[in-house]
Order: sequence, then structure tokens, then C-alpha cells
Amino acid sequence: MPAAHALSYEGQRRRFTRWAISPSVILLLLVAGLPTVFLLVTSLTPGTLVQAGSLTDFSEPLGNYRYLMEDKRFHESLLVQARLSVYTVILQVILGTGMAMLVHAGQERWKSLRHLFVIPMVLPPIVVAVIWKLVYTPDISPIFHTAKALGFMLPAFTSNADFALASIVVADTWEWAPFTFLMVLASLQTLPGEYVEAARMDGANGPRIFQHIVLPYIAPVLVVCTLFRVIDSIKAFPLIFLLTGGGPGSVTEVTNYYAYLLAFNYGELGYSSAVTVVLLAFTVVISWLAMRLNGKLQNQE
Amino acid sequence: MKRPFHYTAWAVPLLLLVMLLPFLWLLQMSFKPTDMILEFPPRMVFMPTLEHYRGLWNGEFPASFVNSLVTSTVSTALALLLGVPAAYALSRWSGRGRFGLGLSILLTRMAPPIAFTIPFFLAYRYLGLLDTRTGLIIIYMTFNLPLVIWMMQPFFDAVPASLEEAALMDGAGFPTVFLEIVMPMATAGIAATAILCFLYAWNDFFFALILTRTDARTAPVAVVNFMNYEGWEWGKIAAGGSLVMAPVLVFSLMVRRYLVSGLTAGAVKG
Repeated sequence: MPAAHALSYEGQRRRFTRWAISPSVILLLLVAGLPTVFLLVTSLTPGTLVQAGSLTDFSEPLGNYRYLMEDKRFHESLLVQARLSVYTVILQVILGTGMAMLVHAGQERWKSLRHLFVIPMVLPPIVVAVIWKLVYTPDISPIFHTAKALGFMLPAFTSNADFALASIVVADTWEWAPFTFLMVLASLQTLPGEYVEAARMDGANGPRIFQHIVLPYIAPVLVVCTLFRVIDSIKAFPLIFLLTGGGPGSVTEVTNYYAYLLAFNYGELGYSSAVTVVLLAFTVVISWLAMRLNGKLQNQE
Repeated sequence: MKRPFHYTAWAVPLLLLVMLLPFLWLLQMSFKPTDMILEFPPRMVFMPTLEHYRGLWNGEFPASFVNSLVTSTVSTALALLLGVPAAYALSRWSGRGRFGLGLSILLTRMAPPIAFTIPFFLAYRYLGLLDTRTGLIIIYMTFNLPLVIWMMQPFFDAVPASLEEAALMDGAGFPTVFLEIVMPMATAGIAATAILCFLYAWNDFFFALILTRTDARTAPVAVVNFMNYEGWEWGKIAAGGSLVMAPVLVFSLMVRRYLVSGLTAGAVKG
């Protein structure tokens, strides 16, 4: 046995894996860890690009955070974010589940089509935004032409305060409902057919089967989808950038977008960092929650 | 139970058609003669033209396309180079490593990109990396590295340790064992991971928007630039958009089995 060797299999492997992992660990600390620290530090300064030395001015470290408390636009952006997240997530989970049920019901016939349902989700986000820009632009969109032909005027969705957020929600739902679709379909495929058969024998109808058998079975997946979409909705950017630019006024200005404007339109890097730190804290809490919940769900299985 | 006719026979294709309508519309627009683009009712039958694609070819678009290709490919290669051995290490060495992996993925994958952009912007300005491909490559690699580690681990978990042990007993060194025994067994995983990394970098808009101006501008940003103050060039927008999504459609079909694990990397597992 080579166990007697100075370096056994275990020993050699340990030495090799140490070498294998070090570059990644160092790099991640350098390019992911360090910027996080850097962001925290910047958030303590009044840093702007125009004022020399402002990025190293720590005379009033909590100034940005104090200002956050009274910044109406920031509060407003949190509300917009909440609205966007709630609407999009609910719609996406319901529609995605519906689509999955439908395709699952017709599986044999449409097996090969199911990959096409996923197209919106894999498209480059900016292409999705371009597509919806076309849909929402009166000159070019058939929707507006059709409305005009039928004799009524549609409001310009993206520049109308009442419709702007809804137009983002619709586009985002188109893009991401396929995510729930994919996850739920995968889950439905592992649902034992006997359960459904047995229930049907007992005289249960479609809605009851859904409520008592299918829904409990896919519930964990729905929870995962919801949390994942919530986390991602905090990052919404290309759609807002291209469709509304946060407007009109600030009805579609989510916190992420506000932070972007602060930093890269107004040059307020310090204050933007503070906004971003809050956003980051939110994300970490939700992600942590997602991990915990998922762990619990898996233990139940 | 076999049914001769089922509502899904029409409902599924109908739903699919409705879903893909906006996407198909962009595609047909890219082949439509300019004067027909604004026509209503829209013409369904027309002589396809390549004028918009030709127009793109003559402008700055090809340069941005090349930038996209270079930054996506190089960042993917680097992420694999670093991440594949790391994934192997974590697969063979459970314990504290796994926690670190979970945390790093969680941070890079979940954090809003703006959290990285501000520090990177300042650092790049200082280092002269703004508007360079190198700058983009570094940030894409940063985001792809955890994805590689995450995706590759299960593939290495599937390689039995007894194989490695046997090769070692035959006198091979560990690097040889890794390269000649372990790696070939994980090729499928490496291919899938590479494609997902490439797509991630290719699809990026946010970082490219902020960290590039002209020299290193990528294709997604270039498409948006067709919407300018002089009026929007719909034909070019449609053609550019179609070109940007073409590789994505091909590649994502190839990795459809891994899409979910790629998309959820770090979302719910540690």
C-alpha cells in the first residue's frame, strides 16, 4: 500500500487542491471582496468627481446616511421598487405556472416546443428592452395603429404617469415568466402519475386535484422562484433605462436606477454609494432568507 | 390514457405564438425595406432586404461586435482557467471551503451590479482601464468565476476517487492525474459552463454602459446608440438587435439542460 509513502493519495490530493483553489480565492477577495469594502468606505465621504479630495474626506462619515433619512426621492424609489417587485413576481409566478401546466398537459405532442418558451429569458436584456421599446412606440407599434384604426386613442404608455410602471411590469413579466415556467415544468415532470390517477378515481376534479395534489407538490419550487425573482427584480435596469428612464417624473425610478443616476449622471459617487449600501444590505437579507427557507424545504422532503 | 384530441393541440402553439410575437416582429423588421417599416397594416409578405445589415457592416457596429466577442471569450477562458481547478478542489475537500464558495457566489451573483460599478469605476479611472477591453474582461471574469466553481463542482463530484488513486499508484503525479484522468471526464460540464459564462458576458449591458465609451463599446451598447437624437434608425436597431441575440439563441439551445442551475447559481444554495 502506498499509504506508507511520505505523501499518500490523500496527502498529494490535499497539496494539489490547495494549489488549485488559491488563485480563485485570492482573486475573489481582490475583485469582489475589496470593492465591497471600497464601497463602504466611499459611502462615508461626500465624494464627487468634480471636487478634488472629496473621496477621501471623512470629516462627516455619516452625513450621507443622515441625508438618506430625509431624501424624499430615495423613499419614493423604495416604494416604486416594492411595487415593481410585488407586481412582477406575482404575475410571473402565476403565468409561468399556468404555462407549465398547459405544456405539461400536452407534453407528448409538444415536447420539443418547450425550449422555445424560454427564448425571452435568454435574450440579452437590452434586446428585450429594444423589443418592448418597439411595442410601446406609437409611430411604429401595430398596437397603436390598430387602436387608431378602431377609432380610439391609446396613451403613450411609457411616458404616461399612470401606465409607465405597468408597461415595465408587462415587459419584465414577458422576460421572466419563462423562468417559473421552466422550474415548474421540471417539477411537474417528477410528480408521480399515480397520485393524480388515484385522486381522479376518487372522483376529484381538475381544480381539486390542482389544489390538493399539484400545488403542494410544486410549492417548494414556487417559493424558490419567488425569492429568486425578488432578488433579481432589485437589479432591474435595462428595461427602465430604455423604456422610461425612470420617468415620467420618477414613477418608475427604482432604487437601483436612482443610485445609477446619482453616480453616473450627477457624479454624486459618495451619496450613491450610501444608497447602494442600503440596497446591498436588503439583498443580503433576502438572499440569506432564501438560503434558510430552501434549506428547510429540502429537509422536509 | 390516450386522447385523440386535446385542447393543448391548439392552446400550446397559440400561447407560444403570442409569446414570441414581439420577438418575431423584431426579427422580420430587420429584413424589411425601410419605407415599409412604418406601414400599417403591416405587410406580411415582402421582399426581404439585407440593407439594414449592410448598413451595420459599414458603420461602427462591427468593431463593437468584435469587442463583445473578445471580452466574452477571454473572460470566459480566464474564469475557466481559474475556476475549474478551484471547483475540483472544493469537490474533493468539503468543509470550510464550501462555506466560502457559498458566500462568494452569493455576494457576486446577488449583489446589484451598481455595488461593484462604483468601486470599479473609480479604480479603473485611476488605473486607466476605463473604456478598455481589459477592464471589461476583468469585471466579467469576476462575475463568472463563482459561476464556474458552482457549475463544475457536481461534475467533479461524479468522478470516482478510486480512479485517481489507481493512476497515482501507477506513478503519475497529481497534476497529471487531474489533467489526464479527471478533466476528460468533465468535458461536458466544462463546455456547458463555458457557454453559460460566455452568455453572461455577452448579455451584459450595465457594466459596458458605464465602463466603456467608444473604444471598448460592446454590441448591446452599440444597439442602443442607434436610438439617437437625430431620430431612431429602426432598421438598424432591429438588425443590430437580431445580430446580438443570434449567438445567444444558438448557445442557449445547446445548454438548455443547464440553464436553470446557471441562472440560479448561488440563489438558494450555499
